[in-house]
Amino acid sequence: MARGLLVYGINHHSAPVELRERLSVPEEALEQRLGELLEVPGVEEAVLLSTCNRVEMIACCAGDVSRGELLNTGLLADNGVAPELAEPHAYQHTGREAVRHLFRVASSLDSLVVGEPQILGQMKDQYLLSHGHSSTGPVLNRLFHKSFSVAKRVRSETGIASKSVSVASVAVDLAGKIFESLEGRTALLLGLGEIGEVTARQLLSAGVERLLVANRTLETALELARELDGTALPLERMADYLPLADLVIGCSGGGQLVMAAEVSAAVKERRHRPMFFIDLAVPRNFDPAINNVDGAYLYDVDDLASVINENKSSRRREATEGEVLVEQEVDSFWQWFEGLELVPTIVELRESVEIIRTTELMRTLDKMSLDEDSRERVDQMTRSMMNKLLHSPTSVLKEAGGSNEETGLLSAARRLFGLGDPET
Amino acid sequence: MELAFLQLAATAYLVSALAFGAHVLWSVERAASAGPLLLGLGFLVHGVSIAWRTVDSGLVTVVGFAEGLSFFAWLVAGAWLVAQRRYSLSVIGAVVSPLAFALTLAAVILYTGGRAVPAQLMGPWLPVHVSLAFLGNAVFALAFAVSVIYLVQENALKSHRAGSVLNRLPSLEQLDRVNFTCLAWGFPLLTLGIMTGGLWAVADSGHFWSGEPREIFSVVLWVLYAGLLQLRFTRGLRGRRASLATMLGFAILVLAYLAVNVLPVAGRHGGGVLS
Repeated sequence: MARGLLVYGINHHSAPVELRERLSVPEEALEQRLGELLEVPGVEEAVLLSTCNRVEMIACCAGDVSRGELLNTGLLADNGVAPELAEPHAYQHTGREAVRHLFRVASSLDSLVVGEPQILGQMKDQYLLSHGHSSTGPVLNRLFHKSFSVAKRVRSETGIASKSVSVASVAVDLAGKIFESLEGRTALLLGLGEIGEVTARQLLSAGVERLLVANRTLETALELARELDGTALPLERMADYLPLADLVIGCSGGGQLVMAAEVSAAVKERRHRPMFFIDLAVPRNFDPAINNVDGAYLYDVDDLASVINENKSSRRREATEGEVLVEQEVDSFWQWFEGLELVPTIVELRESVEIIRTTELMRTLDKMSLDEDSRERVDQMTRSMMNKLLHSPTSVLKEAGGSNEETGLLSAARRLFGLGDPET
Repeated sequence: MELAFLQLAATAYLVSALAFGAHVLWSVERAASAGPLLLGLGFLVHGVSIAWRTVDSGLVTVVGFAEGLSFFAWLVAGAWLVAQRRYSLSVIGAVVSPLAFALTLAAVILYTGGRAVPAQLMGPWLPVHVSLAFLGNAVFALAFAVSVIYLVQENALKSHRAGSVLNRLPSLEQLDRVNFTCLAWGFPLLTLGIMTGGLWAVADSGHFWSGEPREIFSVVLWVLYAGLLQLRFTRGLRGRRASLATMLGFAILVLAYLAVNVLPVAGRHGGGVLS
């Protein structure tokens, strides 16, 4: 029977998080699960991929493999999810589609946030785990290594990862459009909201030197300030230290805390050096009129969200270029894979017919007394008969390479021409 | 030949301006390197044209209005070349290239061929005075270009338009710093230009000041730029207001140049294109 590739699984497009988390494969269960998968008749190689957005099994199979058995062994196992519940959410890709799917996943074209970098690392880790449990072979090894290099290519040759798509990184980008560098700058964090903390951390790692943390209750501010190596300050005395801040992040639940007039005074005190206000709080912490103060730039959550949306759509545009690259790579991988199956069959087919031809030719020629020239002509005739007869099956097989028909046609050809089981 | 090279330079500036526009405004990535490359190429070709003329007329480049425009355009492109190597701010070329094109085109249209230098103007001071004055103006033109980019970038940031323009332009602080650097170079050049002009006038006619329109405009400009630098140092004037002031200064500079050259007023600084 011919070899085939198969991907079977669920992901964030197809299944809700409740189902994904129930089906996720813990690392300690992996070895046993892979062992069971390899025992399913037909499965030769297998890799399990389990991240928070997807649970997939990638298998190289010989012949037909029962979908139900794969579902039970590979995805459901013993975690108590009924097959009727999981089945409608599961997708299956075979042949070229399976290769394309894997390349797209590795390149982050199938991710929730297109272009996010984590998936490639996760895939590498999980592949290595499966490899470590000896469940991979020549086909999947090559497939996975290829998918890693495709991912690298897509990343470097398209802009899918070039634009920021998180609040914190967009804030850092915008700061870079105001300030020449963030080195030596001071950031002021008003309130202790989580998103504010994340943004402050990102600003610190982008080079911001000093962090001031202000909060109504000084104790909690002290805690975060200690953790981030900053200075805690009481919120009431903000007017005193506001002029020190190049960047001000608002994420306090306290409503409007900074008015335009205060900012105007602060900018003057700073000799008009610019100030960047990032309002992450709802209701907003900063007076919208701050944006009209010369030298002050204010972005609230909606402004940041619109930047993020724009960047996301730019990533999606870049993703179409990524799809083209993936398609090329699928072609080249498929050519290799196809060669594994088709070439031996076609060669075998020609060889077996050639044996028949030469045997019959010898037998006939021996009984006839022909001169050299005529012998040559008869030989030529049988040869061209053979070529004409084999032309159609050979080209049909070659064309079927990679399609759903391939497996069926290959086995049909082997049966019709009496080739027996392949040695592979 | 000189004119042919001038025309070639004008063409290069035009195509460069289009490439810059395509890159900055419409995000055409393939145009990204074409703009700076063509502007540099224009500068080289233009340089050949000017060198041709200089060799022909014996060290004197700028006599007529057209030559003045051409020489000015060449220096602006050159100032950009230096700035973009020094600060990697090639995007300023988006303003410099159309400016260089407009000036060079005018020079091509107004081209009159060789014109003899009046004997009274001949002398060692001429190239020195003219070069310093024109170089100062070119640096101010670059400051103007930087200010335009600053205002575009500031406007994009203030209006929360995150589009391609915002992403392709440098930070406000960097633009402001380069603007300041240009003023800091332009002002001494302007001062030296005025001084060499004055000394030359003293040597020539015995008067430092003869009340020509050019002299009056130069002093107005000098006061304006001096005030701008003063406010930068003492009051921390920067950003949008500094950019607007820089643009105002350049507008006066251009008006003065046109007035002196086009209006029928006699003087050492040519003039009388209309007369």
